[in-house]
Amino acid sequence: MRHRGALAAMAAGVAALTAASVVACGSGPAEDVGAADAADLARAAPSPSAAAPSVPVTRGDLPAGTRAVPPVRLSIPAIDVTATVDAVGIDAGTGEFEVPPSVDRIGWYRHGPGLEARTGSVVLAGHVDGATQGEGAFFRLRELERGDTVTATATDGARREYRVVAREEYRKTKIPLDRYFARDGSPRLTLITCGGPFDAQTRRYRDNIVVTAVPA
Amino acid sequence: MQLSYFRRVAAGGAVAALTFAGAGALTATPAYAATSKVSVVHGIPDTPVDVYVNGEKTLDNFKPGDVAGPLTLEEGAYDIALTKPGAPVADAILTVDDAAVPGGANISIAAHLDAAGKPKITPFVNDTTKVDAGKARLVVRHTAAAPAVDVRAGGTPVFEDLTNPNEAKGDVDAGAVKADVVLAGTDTVAIGPADLDLNEGTATIVYAIGSAEAKNLGVVAQTITGLHSAPAGVPSGDGGLAGTGVDAWWYVLAGAGVLLLVGGGARVATTRTGRR
Repeated sequence: MRHRGALAAMAAGVAALTAASVVACGSGPAEDVGAADAADLARAAPSPSAAAPSVPVTRGDLPAGTRAVPPVRLSIPAIDVTATVDAVGIDAGTGEFEVPPSVDRIGWYRHGPGLEARTGSVVLAGHVDGATQGEGAFFRLRELERGDTVTATATDGARREYRVVAREEYRKTKIPLDRYFARDGSPRLTLITCGGPFDAQTRRYRDNIVVTAVPA
Repeated sequence: MQLSYFRRVAAGGAVAALTFAGAGALTATPAYAATSKVSVVHGIPDTPVDVYVNGEKTLDNFKPGDVAGPLTLEEGAYDIALTKPGAPVADAILTVDDAAVPGGANISIAAHLDAAGKPKITPFVNDTTKVDAGKARLVVRHTAAAPAVDVRAGGTPVFEDLTNPNEAKGDVDAGAVKADVVLAGTDTVAIGPADLDLNEGTATIVYAIGSAEAKNLGVVAQTITGLHSAPAGVPSGDGGLAGTGVDAWWYVLAGAGVLLLVGGGARVATTRTGRR
């Protein structure tokens, strides 16, 4: 009888271990895809081998404002996203990206390239979720796969299609933000949200999810 | 080396292209010599000039209010001369011998009037350190025949008591600002007001030029781009619904599982031993 009890205990142990490992494995981060492609896009095109043959001379006029074309809507059919895009900058208090307070809206980094840009990274960031608002526009961003389509609509109504080439997850302490906020390199769209393990004490996610897309 | 560079930029047509191909290989950022980026700013009203560097014509009919460059120059000493357009270098109206160009710097050489109205050349070293995300750098250089001035943004003095040939600078929030220049400590507007659009991640260098006496005070602006930084982070979630971490209770369950297994196994083993 004691023997049987011991076997039952072992069986329960196996069951508990199995359940725990299934959860552990299932909740691991999705593997990065296309990381090398994303890095290649950030490499600046080689400068022309010969510089201009004469000294460039320009009028010393006061600078005019930049005329970036802002995206106003973003749609990603693969994860059922259709969201309004706000032009945002930097949070003066923290120096961080000023993600719109509403989790349904997405922020476009207005200091970086707009949809007209021939070089650099157009950055759009949105909430994965909010403590009081629930799931955010980018809740399923980490499900995007290579080849999925992202459509950005400009103020003039023109639509630009992009094709996902990479999805990466970085610890926030390690993410190479300079690369994703670069104004040189190939034209690309960079979508950022939070992900990875959540610390309930600080109410912060450990990681950022970054999706890179190129003009389709 | 220095001479070949200027020959290259001064020559015209096909000859220039040929010389360039040859000299380019030698001057393209050589590892053995530090180079600097050099711009030239013309701040003397009503006086177009030819610019000679080390005796070679580098800029032809360079007009007031124009900015030339940047050129990539090796560190060293350069002779600079300004002539009336077409006049021989021997009849230069202004010369500076052995102007020092340090290595690895970004320099602006301004031709301008001193406080008394006499033409002169002043080199400025440009601050090309990165600005924080969301910021722009504003640099104001007093290169006019005028007394000390204050620079105001939106009516508030931001740089005070600036004198020729000095500069004042600061990193400010990017965006539009209405700026003017007043005589120091007064509300007497000397220049402006003008709308300044300070683009994020750039340095806007504004030169006050001309002469108060001749009533032709004005500004020349030069912009340096590429000084931007990335934001400090992208905080984009505080709900925890998407957390991929393993909840602590699962570790407890796994630990219990291990204990049960070990305990049960030990029991089985001892029972078997006992039977023997």
